[in-house]
Amino acid sequence: MPYSRNRDYVGFVARMVPGTTTFLFTLLSLLPFPVPSFGSIAPSFALMAVFHWTVYRPDLLPPGAVFVAGLLLDLLNGTPYVGLSALALLLVRTAVLNQRRIFSHRPFSVLWLGFFGATAGAFALEWAFVSLMQVEFLAPRPFVFQTLITAACFPIGSYVLALAHRAMPALSA
Amino acid sequence: MRVSAPVRATVQRLTLPFLIFMSALLAVLGKADVLLFDRVRVVLADVLAPVLQVAGEPIASVSRAVGTVENVITVYHQNQELKLENQRLLQWQEVARRLQSENEELRNLVKFAPQGAVSSVAAQVIADSGGAFLHNILVNVGSREGVARGQPAMTGDGLVGRVIEVGGRTARILLLTDINSHIPVAIEGTHDHAMLNGDNSDEPRLVYVQPKTPVKSGDRIVTSGSGGMFPPDLPVGVVASVGGVIRVETYADLARLEMVRIVNYGLDGILPDGWVPTPQAGRRSHARAASSP
Repeated sequence: MPYSRNRDYVGFVARMVPGTTTFLFTLLSLLPFPVPSFGSIAPSFALMAVFHWTVYRPDLLPPGAVFVAGLLLDLLNGTPYVGLSALALLLVRTAVLNQRRIFSHRPFSVLWLGFFGATAGAFALEWAFVSLMQVEFLAPRPFVFQTLITAACFPIGSYVLALAHRAMPALSA
Repeated sequence: MRVSAPVRATVQRLTLPFLIFMSALLAVLGKADVLLFDRVRVVLADVLAPVLQVAGEPIASVSRAVGTVENVITVYHQNQELKLENQRLLQWQEVARRLQSENEELRNLVKFAPQGAVSSVAAQVIADSGGAFLHNILVNVGSREGVARGQPAMTGDGLVGRVIEVGGRTARILLLTDINSHIPVAIEGTHDHAMLNGDNSDEPRLVYVQPKTPVKSGDRIVTSGSGGMFPPDLPVGVVASVGGVIRVETYADLARLEMVRIVNYGLDGILPDGWVPTPQAGRRSHARAASSP
């Protein structure tokens, strides 16, 4: 029946929303915003997308998709450590998935605090890993700064993701 | 393909640990075999360049609009300044003409062979590394425009960095501030050689300075040309602080790059194919620079 096929198609589009937004958010953190030193303090939008969808629809953002997003980020930002972002994002997904109950039906501030923790963990991992590989302690300040900026931008990213999220049931209905 | 439920459950349970293991392995081994990644990276950058460019367009137009408004507000003041500057430049033009003719005469006198042709291509920044430990940019020109690995990238003010990866229509430039950036430089005037190493901060470090001639704050730093990487005397920056670690403030504002110029001086450079920005390679080039007189 064409009707049900149409519904299948719409349902498919709805299921693609988490993956697509994660992909777009990943590209977003690479764009050259005309803000001084933006490159080194750019908020990690990919982290926001992974966090958001792991809290609300982990079934639609499987580990494979998170891995691909992380790999894409690493390949595009020119890091010598391809796989590091993928590792950080996968660990964030695992941690958030284990603590999902804390976030469900709680005020936004709880979610925000959780995101801050996840971001701090992810950047601490990157800092430790790169310091280890470069065999010297990197100045931690840029990492701390990037954590704060990312956490501060979370409401904006979260709002955009929530809009996409709200459009999903409308699509699959 | 249909698989039985227990098999599917096992596969699902193992996916996450497998992927975590894979990414950790890649990150550790990545430095050992970056050649494959380099190719994938270049292709990916080429494919996604149009997307990045289109996505960056709204940001660029907002930035332009803000710039226009700023210009309108300051137009009177600017005009005054430009008139003064014009006067000054006309005097300089006079001086330049005189020097040019004098230069030509002297060159004829000593039968001076001029340097090879220099060509340059303007490039727009389409992506910023976006990491706390990465300082590189992706630009929208590549091998089609004659860009090659090792070429210097400049702004009107000075050196920005060098090309480390080239695709068909994209190139990646390692900025002077990146921890993997090591540039042979010289102190203008004394011609003492040194290395300019990025260390992830805004101001790169000047290392391997000759102990005999102390470096002063305000000394001009230019490329030394040793190693055949860059031509000599490209402006790099000025010494900003000398207490303990010597830091250099770059002439080019690396914090906000929108356009750069990639210059082809026809040098082969010291970067063979497959060269990767590893600390080991960096150290080797130190040793070479330090041992050269």
